[in-house]
Amino acid sequence: MKPLTISGFITAILLIALSIYVVEDLPAFGDENSPVNKYVKLFNVDADGLVESLNAGILPLQIKIKIEDMGFNKEENYPTLEEGNYRIEWSEKGSFEGGRLSEGGWDVLINEGEIFYNELIRYYFIKEENRNLTVYRYNFPVRINELTEEETATINIVTAGLADYRGYDTMGEETVILTGAIGVILLLRRRGRL
Amino acid sequence: MTQEKRAYKRDVVIEVTASLMFPFILLFGLYVMMGTGGTGGGFQGGTILATGFILYITVFGTDKGREKMPESVNVFFKSFGLFLYNGAGWLCILFSLATAQWLNMPAFWPVTEFTGIAGARGFLIAYMISVGIGLTVMASFVSQYFDLSMKEDDEMDGDEG
Repeated sequence: MKPLTISGFITAILLIALSIYVVEDLPAFGDENSPVNKYVKLFNVDADGLVESLNAGILPLQIKIKIEDMGFNKEENYPTLEEGNYRIEWSEKGSFEGGRLSEGGWDVLINEGEIFYNELIRYYFIKEENRNLTVYRYNFPVRINELTEEETATINIVTAGLADYRGYDTMGEETVILTGAIGVILLLRRRGRL
Repeated sequence: MTQEKRAYKRDVVIEVTASLMFPFILLFGLYVMMGTGGTGGGFQGGTILATGFILYITVFGTDKGREKMPESVNVFFKSFGLFLYNGAGWLCILFSLATAQWLNMPAFWPVTEFTGIAGARGFLIAYMISVGIGLTVMASFVSQYFDLSMKEDDEMDGDEG
């Protein structure tokens, strides 16, 4: 065999191996249960005396006020944390309830007040670490809304979504355009004229 | 049909207007293509760039248009856009030792030194991804327009013979 053939063959094998290696750990985009897409960290509070309140099923006023100060209140069309509207449950890490894998900790389930889907939905979860309570929030679309500018330094969410978060999709679209142009060239250029 | 009839009629008004508009259309195309804050993007910017060239070809004819946009440059742009797009992602994946998904960890990218990872991502989105898309779209449109207009010329030649 010619050296060019051999080197081309080796390059192809290396590229295939690299592709398999890359594709192998691709779960973060699209898997709604992967840690990156699942939750957003909100804030820390001191755990003094709040654990008993959480175990009793009552959200401490301190956490509630802080959550509402962050903009997740009635004016912004988020479900409210009024008494009787939510429920707090302790769940083990990995249990599957309410359509989502639990992360462990206290889950805050809120009734959104929908007419046809009148069920409790997991909104927040609270974890205890080193005498600190850390409040997280579930939901993937909200994560894109909030963290796009911080993560990609791009003001426009749609541009970042097109070029970055859904980058492979746009790569395919561009390949489709190139293939279409090549098809037009093959169909129209009959005389070898450039 | 004689050669004189088929030759393009020169019109001073149209030619001057087109030559005045041409660079500004290209400038606007670049602005739409690279301005990630606005409503534009690679596809739109590439189409606007292509309209500039199409205006030029329509006014000055295919031969002069070929001087402005030679076939070699067209083919280069067509594939270079795709290579630019894919290359950005592949470089990010390679330099981050395959921990990056697409652009999310441009670890050893030179821009990272000055802007941080988020800024580097923004830079890649604005100046490599969008530009890659735009170049491919522009070259594809211009190439199709060239092909169609030249086919028309060829058919007219065929009628003649």
